[in-house]
Amino acid sequence: MKALILVGGFGTRLRPLTLSVPKPLVDFANKPMILHQIEALKAIGVTEVVLAINYQPEVMLNFLKDFEAKLEIKITCSQETEPLGTAGPLALARDKLIDESGDPFFVLNSDVISEYPLKEMIEFHKSHGGEASIMVTKVDEPSKYGVVVTEESTGKVERFVEKPKLFVGNKINAGIYLLNPSVLDRIQLRPTSIEKEIFPKIAAEGKLYAMVLPGFWMDIGQPKDYITGLRLYLDSLRKKASPKLATGTNIIGNVLVDESAKIGEGCLIGPDVAIGPGCVVESGVRLSCCTVMRGVRIKKHACISSSIIGWHSTVGQWARVENMTILGEDVHVCDEIYSNGGVVLPHKEIKSSILKPEIVM
Amino acid sequence: MGGSEERVVAVIMVGGPTKGTRFRPLSLNTPKPLFPLAGQPMVNHPISACKRIPNLAQIYLIGFYEEREFALFVSSISNELRVPVRYLKEDKPHGSAGGLYNFRDQIMEESPSHIFLLNCDVCCSFPLAEMLEAHMSYRGMGTILVIKVSPESANQFGELVADPVTNELLHYTEKPETFVRVSDRINCGVYIFTPDIFTAIQGVSSQRKDRATLRRVSSFEALQPANRSLPSDFVRLDQDILSPLAGKKQFYVYETTDYWEQIKTPGMSLKCSGLYLAQFRRTSPDLLASGDGTKNAAISGNVYIHPSAKVHPTAKIGPNASISANARIGAGVRLVNCIILDDVEIKENAVVIHAIVGWKSSIGRWSRVQASGDHNAKLGVTILGESVTVEDEVVVINSIVLPNKTMNVSVQEEIIL
Repeated sequence: MKALILVGGFGTRLRPLTLSVPKPLVDFANKPMILHQIEALKAIGVTEVVLAINYQPEVMLNFLKDFEAKLEIKITCSQETEPLGTAGPLALARDKLIDESGDPFFVLNSDVISEYPLKEMIEFHKSHGGEASIMVTKVDEPSKYGVVVTEESTGKVERFVEKPKLFVGNKINAGIYLLNPSVLDRIQLRPTSIEKEIFPKIAAEGKLYAMVLPGFWMDIGQPKDYITGLRLYLDSLRKKASPKLATGTNIIGNVLVDESAKIGEGCLIGPDVAIGPGCVVESGVRLSCCTVMRGVRIKKHACISSSIIGWHSTVGQWARVENMTILGEDVHVCDEIYSNGGVVLPHKEIKSSILKPEIVM
Repeated sequence: MGGSEERVVAVIMVGGPTKGTRFRPLSLNTPKPLFPLAGQPMVNHPISACKRIPNLAQIYLIGFYEEREFALFVSSISNELRVPVRYLKEDKPHGSAGGLYNFRDQIMEESPSHIFLLNCDVCCSFPLAEMLEAHMSYRGMGTILVIKVSPESANQFGELVADPVTNELLHYTEKPETFVRVSDRINCGVYIFTPDIFTAIQGVSSQRKDRATLRRVSSFEALQPANRSLPSDFVRLDQDILSPLAGKKQFYVYETTDYWEQIKTPGMSLKCSGLYLAQFRRTSPDLLASGDGTKNAAISGNVYIHPSAKVHPTAKIGPNASISANARIGAGVRLVNCIILDDVEIKENAVVIHAIVGWKSSIGRWSRVQASGDHNAKLGVTILGESVTVEDEVVVINSIVLPNKTMNVSVQEEIIL
């Protein structure tokens, strides 16, 4: 089976992290974002993954060579020369997605994390016999998105409504599709929206079905949602009683600690914390609701909450970092500094406190 | 003036990647020394000035950028200006004097009698031939270019005192703490040395090495903060050479009365582009554009337009505008005090005032990109990074927009990541 992952553009909403690496390679729960999806696809027998990208292909390709070898799955790139929207890239990658088997192929959106119940989706797709299946997820504020209206019993999609003003439903497109090769015949090689142009046509013919996504769903394309997403992800690990979660007297709630990270005495870590490879957390440190990426050093007595600390940064002794502070790569927060929502670009030293949310270039 | 013995070499310090974050967001896409001022890369201006030095043998650019970032530039400028230019990459920070010492073998290759040291991010008229003449009459180890500034602004710089008759450098300290300032002259960052400078730098290195050895023996020495942590090959020109040797008949000053600025931020690059445009008006006016709105666009003040740029005749450009290669300026556009970079498209009736518009950006019809024009303020000049789109009728004021963003709502006083 084959799969396409829509990687798209510049990831500007995840700056300053995406100033250092392309968005799919930004770490989430100690793994590059895109690896979560590639592993889920590999687990259900996908043999080839095509990445539809339009930015920094050289960086992506280098990284992918490593993963191709380790995971034993074929990974190729399909590079857009002009932005093709959400459907155009499928036409571009057509030859890679179709083979003699006539099997359907997956399409995933790279910003999305979920439990990826792809096996159940294959069964759902076979049982309804339609042309395309999409996952939908229930949200609290459907009017912010495009709502998918379905027939209750079969899941057959009746119509899509963009940002409805009256309540028509609370399920939105979760960005996970399973499509028969015939769908490719409907897509021309030009900027096309799969939600606005392709799916409505398939729905009108009664051939599009939606399955409600079990478990959590999050679009982690921006820092606030990234932090919420980590909480949901770690929560789902807890529900599966995953051995990956850390335990100990200094751990509260769900915490992920890479085996090469070191944690000192007298720390209190959690809830909802991910500590990446090679990190050093010195003694007396308090961490909650935060991500600490590869190679970071958190010095003694520091306190970090609701923040993202980028690769190879350091946080000084007694520093307090909170309220959606995002440190880019190689940022050094000096001792005793307070950061309230500072967004700091790579290679900076923070020598004076940031009292209210501010971008430091 | 000097026969074949008096060969001169010029060294231009171009700085390095991670150190210069003050030039963001423009430095996210291009090394600062290659950013265009008045239509030419920043480093071109000191290089062109070096051409006026008699018996110039070689120009060296020293910096921390990767060689490949300068390879193309160096070969094309060498051909264009017919002067050999080489780029040398520093492997680690050596300080302003240590860097020069680090490459002494290459610099001394042609046995020059004099060595100019210039900082790339200094904007001035570079009176190098006059400086050389003055230096040869003083017969010291080095001569520093200085300029008088207002007492208020003098406080940000080091204290520099010179003898009014002999022009000898009597006293030099970096950013003094005492409130009373005795001098209004500052160091412009342009120097000329004789090869003795290398001996002086080596002296500082050795002295530091000896002190380090002493430290291992005496714990009292080790506690002195001034002695801590500087490696022996890290030598700063100001603190380690000029300060100690001031008043010893080694260094002299040459004063310029022309303009001088440091190009540390994008806002200042706009100001300096204007200064160089004014310089072109005096020295090479044919580089500047002209037009009265009939066959060509109306030009006011000093304006540079690259030959490949297309400007609609109903546009009005200037003063102090600089338009780079392949830019397209539509009908009825108004540009004032701005730098429009390569491949930018500005659509009909748009207005750009006190701004820098990044490469490949697109400015919509009737949109307005402007700022207060305070070149020193953080948001005093609006900066649009590479490939920014400002949609029709949108207003962007006193803001900085990082590359690849689309502005579809108006903003003021914001940094858009």
